Amino acid sequence: MNSIKLKLTVGAFVLLLAVSYLAIAGVKKGWVYFMPLDQYVADPTYQSRRVRLNGNVGEDQLQIDRAGLLAVFNLKGQSQQIRVEYHGMIPDMFRAHHEVVVEGQLGTDNVFHADMLMTKCASKYQAEGHPKVQPEAKS
Amino acid sequence: MTIQIGNYSLCLAVLVGAMVLLLSLASIQRQSPQFLSYARRGMLLFAGLITTASAMLMIATINTDFRLDYVTHYTERALPLGYKLAAFWAGQEGSLLLWAWLLAVLSVIAVFLHRAEAKEKAFTLAALAVVCSFFAALILFAANPFKLAEVVAADGHGLNPMLQDPGMIAHPPMLFLGYAGFTIPFALMVGALLSGRKDHDWLKAVRWWSVASWLFLSVGILLGAQWAYVELGWGGYWAWDPVENASLLPWLTGTALLHTVMVQQQRGMLKGLNAALIAVTFILCIFGTYLTRSGVVQSVHSFGESLIGTFFLIFLAITVLASVGLIFARRRDLQPEQKMETVIGREGAFLATGWLLIVVTVITLIGTIFPLISGIFMQQGISVSQSFYNTTVGPVSLLLAALMATGPLLRYGKNVTSSLVRNLTAPVIVAIAVTGWLWIRGIHNGWALVAGFIAAAAVVVITVDFVRSAWIRAAAHHENLFVGALRLVDGNHRRYGGQVTHVGVLMLIIGVVGSSQFSVKENFELKAGQSAVIGGYTLTLQKLEEVRRENYSAVQALVNFESSDGIAGTLIPQRRFYDKSEESSASVAITSTWREDLYVTLAGWEQEGGRATVQAIVNPLVSWIWIGGIVLTAGGMICLIPRIEPHHQPQPAMAPVEAKVIEHKPIETKSGKRHGKSRKQKVRQ
Repeated sequence: MNSIKLKLTVGAFVLLLAVSYLAIAGVKKGWVYFMPLDQYVADPTYQSRRVRLNGNVGEDQLQIDRAGLLAVFNLKGQSQQIRVEYHGMIPDMFRAHHEVVVEGQLGTDNVFHADMLMTKCASKYQAEGHPKVQPEAKS
Repeated sequence: MTIQIGNYSLCLAVLVGAMVLLLSLASIQRQSPQFLSYARRGMLLFAGLITTASAMLMIATINTDFRLDYVTHYTERALPLGYKLAAFWAGQEGSLLLWAWLLAVLSVIAVFLHRAEAKEKAFTLAALAVVCSFFAALILFAANPFKLAEVVAADGHGLNPMLQDPGMIAHPPMLFLGYAGFTIPFALMVGALLSGRKDHDWLKAVRWWSVASWLFLSVGILLGAQWAYVELGWGGYWAWDPVENASLLPWLTGTALLHTVMVQQQRGMLKGLNAALIAVTFILCIFGTYLTRSGVVQSVHSFGESLIGTFFLIFLAITVLASVGLIFARRRDLQPEQKMETVIGREGAFLATGWLLIVVTVITLIGTIFPLISGIFMQQGISVSQSFYNTTVGPVSLLLAALMATGPLLRYGKNVTSSLVRNLTAPVIVAIAVTGWLWIRGIHNGWALVAGFIAAAAVVVITVDFVRSAWIRAAAHHENLFVGALRLVDGNHRRYGGQVTHVGVLMLIIGVVGSSQFSVKENFELKAGQSAVIGGYTLTLQKLEEVRRENYSAVQALVNFESSDGIAGTLIPQRRFYDKSEESSASVAITSTWREDLYVTLAGWEQEGGRATVQAIVNPLVSWIWIGGIVLTAGGMICLIPRIEPHHQPQPAMAPVEAKVIEHKPIETKSGKRHGKSRKQKVRQ
């Protein structure tokens, strides 16, 4: 009986070790800081790393070249902004004033080079201008 | 009129739900069958009311009744009928109503099929009533689809172009059927544990409902993957996005449950684990809904933030505490009836399957909520990218696939190490040959070689086991091999349905490895008549043109393709401009063979001169994922359907084993258990 328990314990232990190893390897590979734009611009600690930033697409100097798979735009936070150059397929809902998430790294030219761009467009799934509080419907 | 009826139905449903709860609790306290019967009818009434509310919303979306805020936001007059129907669940309010409706209908079926003592029935009913009332109250107070619009618009905003896809019609109902379905095993467990039931008969119903829910969840996930695959910007069929993960989590624990529950049925072991898995799967279904509906984690599929997150969080907390309390209070009933005799046996393999799936669940859960966890401890959040999941989940999945290869060779309570080695020799030789063939074909990718090896071995084991058993059976009964094979499957739906499902999963793994490791992508700028070559395909731009459809106009490219083995045709990727949407959206064009998909997108064009930018991707083996999904579904269905041919053994008045699943009798004390066992043994002959 005891040997069964021992085997199970050893098995579980080996499994745990293996999976922890994998998890650590995975985290090392896939570890990405994400932060609001203002914090990123204000704090240079993370500017040498690959990060994920959250902000709004500025209307001025917005270049969308779908054919060339290139978008250059200003990503705006509350008070700060940064120039972003994104290479890749441009999502359908990418346009000015929309909230986007970009992932990449700051280049020596002080332009943020992104290779991942996600449009966060809650307002389109959850219909636009949907007031959160509205007078109770009286039928 | 429809609006009033809808609103009143919801109000009444909340009251009736609460009444059902009170009546079922009262029936336990007073031991009154009368109260229980009222409670059961109350559940029927609840379902009727939710059905009425749903029907009213459906009528409103079909008739584009713009007096409703909800209808105005998700439909327009020119929307094709199919999408008007789908607009029912396009938004928060409607999705939750769909959830509640499916839950109500499934609850009624479960309640009326439930064969148990009055006390157990009452506890199960009470658990269902709690969940049903929660959803009804949530919809009425926080997400009412019958809210009136402030101004009645002339036309609606239309359905989001991204949602105008056939996937929108089928994917959400399937997924929600899976979610709602897993409520039933939970309620059955609550009933069995609270009433102190000691036998395992109630697990038949648990397993049947779990298989059915698991099947719907699988189909829902696969349909979602298919949809994400054709929708640009959703990152392919699987992107480890929080919303995708949310549906995967209950699927993983549900899969674990389907395996470990058999050990309890046959050997009386792993009771605690099963109880935990039933509860966790249900909780994860609610959690998944919460995650997609609350907007706490960033996702490409975000649905907007709202108050209902708080409702869900409170309900989740209550469910978790109640489950932990229940399992703790009944820990004595959850002790194993016998000790495990060997690790290298069937119970060992099921236990390992369960644990490995739990490990994958934990990894996925941690990855999904990592931004939230890290946000608590650090100043800035950290999110993990796809490579985190791939490096962790990938190897564990292959380990699970390897376990599938040993499945048919294991027995309960018997160490089969020696026969295992003997039986695995031939499959391993075949697997080595297959791996060698892959190597010679120039495939030196580690994932592909390991996956190829495991899949080949597993398929050989499953096939040899089946053919051998069919052969033996046919010879013993003087049947031909085909009839023998059919009777063999009919004699043990669970076993062979399970094996078919395994083959489906193996195909799926092959498809995932092939398409993730060997995909080729290139962009071409083409003038009319110009050609480009990618992965053995020659693409020629025939022309660019504009077209007009019901509710959008589009620019489309006619791209002729010809593969190296002579398959030719035309692909028409579009960029659509929906009348009611400010953005344009892409419609991709795909051609599939069993070997690979050619996936073409119109990225852009020049207004003058007819030059188009086309993105072409060659994705190997993607169709294996979808065909694997169909095979998996077929396997699940084999598990669910009752035995077709009656028993040969003289067993009067004994219905087929699988048919008995949901109509188990009230317990007949200890003799019932022994009775059940002997029946199982006969079935296996």
